[in-house]
Amino acid sequence: MTQPSSSSIGQTLRRVVFFLLVTVTTLVALGLLVSVFQTNGFSPMELLLLFLYTILFSWICISFWTAFMGFWVILFGRDRWAISRQPPGASLDLSAPPLRTAILMPIYNEDSERVFAGLRAIHQSLAATDSLDGFDFFILSDTRDPDVWVEEELRWQDMVRALDGKGRIFYRNRPENTSRKSGNLEDFCTRWGGRYRYMIVLDADSLMQGETLVEMVRLMELHPRVALIQTPPVPVNRESLFARILQFASSLYGRMFTAGLNYWQLGESNYWGHNAIIRIQPFLDHCGLPKLPGREPFGGEILSHDFVEAALLRRAGWEVWLAYDLEGSYEEIPPTLIDYAKRDRRWCQGNLQHLRLAFSRGFNALSRLHFLMGVMSYAASPLWLLFLMATGVEAYLQTQQELVYFFGENWQPVWPVSFAVEMTTVLLVTLTMLFLPKLLALLLLIKDGRLRHAYGGMWGATLSVLLETVFSVLTAPVLMLFQTKFVLAILMRKAVGWPPQQRGDHQTGFSEAALAHGGHTLIGVVAGTLSYFYVPAFFWWFIPVLLGLALAIPVSMLSSSMALGRQTRQLGLFLTPEETEPPTVLRDLEDSLRNHRPVLPVLREIPANRFLQVLTDPYVNALHRSLLPEREPPNKRRRHYLEGLIQQLEEEGPDSLNPAQKRELIADPETLLRLHALFWTRPLANAG
Amino acid sequence: MDRRSVSTLRSSLAAPFSARLLDRLKAYWAALGVADPNLALALSEQTLRRLPDLSDEAESAARAIIAAGELLDDWLAAALDLPRPSPALTAARAALLSGAVPGWPMALFAPPGAAGIALDRLRTAIAEPTPAPSPGAMPAQRIEPLWKSL
Repeated sequence: MTQPSSSSIGQTLRRVVFFLLVTVTTLVALGLLVSVFQTNGFSPMELLLLFLYTILFSWICISFWTAFMGFWVILFGRDRWAISRQPPGASLDLSAPPLRTAILMPIYNEDSERVFAGLRAIHQSLAATDSLDGFDFFILSDTRDPDVWVEEELRWQDMVRALDGKGRIFYRNRPENTSRKSGNLEDFCTRWGGRYRYMIVLDADSLMQGETLVEMVRLMELHPRVALIQTPPVPVNRESLFARILQFASSLYGRMFTAGLNYWQLGESNYWGHNAIIRIQPFLDHCGLPKLPGREPFGGEILSHDFVEAALLRRAGWEVWLAYDLEGSYEEIPPTLIDYAKRDRRWCQGNLQHLRLAFSRGFNALSRLHFLMGVMSYAASPLWLLFLMATGVEAYLQTQQELVYFFGENWQPVWPVSFAVEMTTVLLVTLTMLFLPKLLALLLLIKDGRLRHAYGGMWGATLSVLLETVFSVLTAPVLMLFQTKFVLAILMRKAVGWPPQQRGDHQTGFSEAALAHGGHTLIGVVAGTLSYFYVPAFFWWFIPVLLGLALAIPVSMLSSSMALGRQTRQLGLFLTPEETEPPTVLRDLEDSLRNHRPVLPVLREIPANRFLQVLTDPYVNALHRSLLPEREPPNKRRRHYLEGLIQQLEEEGPDSLNPAQKRELIADPETLLRLHALFWTRPLANAG
Repeated sequence: MDRRSVSTLRSSLAAPFSARLLDRLKAYWAALGVADPNLALALSEQTLRRLPDLSDEAESAARAIIAAGELLDDWLAAALDLPRPSPALTAARAALLSGAVPGWPMALFAPPGAAGIALDRLRTAIAEPTPAPSPGAMPAQRIEPLWKSL
């Protein structure tokens, strides 16, 4: 690696200004609170409140000033130090691999139809740019479910045939999904990394425009010291009310935040795990992830690998950029509040693990901040809960104090000092920090007529922002309790699984909502009753939180409604540019999902299950066997085990086997051939 | 394949088990894409010729199905000049059965040289799941706590 780039004075000044603003704002708010508490000296509870407020408020400040800087960047045009505007860097390293880019889609038990429809749309979009020759596609499957596995193979083969993609569209399923997604990518890098200069990492629900992919490669070619460029993925395609509100918020406010993040992070930005381009050689050299010593949650495998990989690249002197102004990068989000929480559960442990990494050797200051921000994304919830509880207790203690108006011989009464002004100021400052970015995002629409129209006009956008604010106020306490539960479970070393996401639209029923939110409702009712009777003044301040909890079940159910999502769209609410004028790649995806007629006849009919089909259908059986990796024949012990499974399948039918056992059977070519022959000679029990 | 030679087998397969086995094989060849019943019968008989011992009914049936696949592989290996056994041969079998070569049984028995187009189609249809490897090393990085340096 050559010398790392030296930050210019202007770039350093940006960071100084940013952190100065965060620090000063936090100190001012803290000063106001201290002035209230210090009158009678600090009680332990007040000290705790001050401590929590400092952490939480500085967290809000970082977010606010990021949005504020993004606001200015967008208001006055593009950032002159954005990666897309920087002059070309030094000439390329001649020993670099040839200019080819691998587009990687790591998948794990996903909906194959959607995965391949997305890939077809990306392929089509890339073909329209006449740049297909420079790209290869890899479907990197870690799928364990045998039915999904076979389905993927058929859909891959269908895609290759339909798009004439032999030698350009590849598929492999890993025998063991060691280290999950990071292991999946590592497997690619160590096996085929030498063939490519870049890899573009996608997620199962990612979509990217062909022009964007080409532009990412162009930027990497222009800047040889850049190892990674992250694009901001815009959430799209969901129809439920919950997801549409989130899509709207992410789209309208998100562009301001990403512009702001780039403003102060510049070449020390972060990696979000997908929709990013990576220079493979430095990734190979510096991003091999170790197993952290010690037990989970802080030891063991690194779960949220993306932040760590960005930090390792920075540690080695490479630049990592967020191309905030690069459009045409999309993702899909969970359709319901419960699915959103499930995704949080998967991410939570990985982010908490970053607490340890923030205090590891060699990382840059900004990388440490990224780690801490990751931690705070989840740790903020228990801290807020603690803050609310401490505030309630403090308010109760205040009501228990008897007021004394006359002291000693003094005949003049000493009136208690009122701190209503200071407290109201603290509250107003906090609320301003939270809600002003929404207003700023609306102001930006005044400047841009095209965008204003895309968000449903000024009135539509304003009403949407108001409703979105109400919705986020209602759901914030629910998410706070969810995340608190996850954090506590992880700290108590209770397993947090990594179930695959339920990505498609679907509605939340009453039983599911009651099961997920029953506890929240109960907490809301109990806390409301206690505060109403014991601290009535506090009760009224507490109403937004209590309402969110008490209404968790209906809000969760109603917001999962696709009918409501569609109705609000017809009313011009929560519109996004991607809904108002869908880009080609989104239209192609929709078209592919609706009208795609598979080339392979076997895909035109839907079988009862693919597991049985791989045993019985000569084509599916042969295709699957041809895709199995070459390996040593099973040893004696394993053969006995497989014999047992065959016998069980014959006697008790396929339903008697669990998915892992079915996978074992179809992962061994000899066993698979034998089962195929057995099926054709005597039908299996319950085979249908 | 010599289609005349298989007719001599019919008389020796009069027993009920043999008849059942033949039916099974015919059904299997049909599933492989051989629509002509006469050709399916001929291929089934050819398959049975490969099995010297038919005493164990259950075992023989399974072996017969495998032998049918091997018969197909023999032709594929010869036609495409592929080693056997090999993953490439399994891939070729998958390509053949995928429907990429319509009416492949006719091509199977076409005179040498006449199956060129079918073979070209078949070669094109053979799946290439992964490119040739180009491995790289990815050493695990050291991540140590700050206090280790103190």
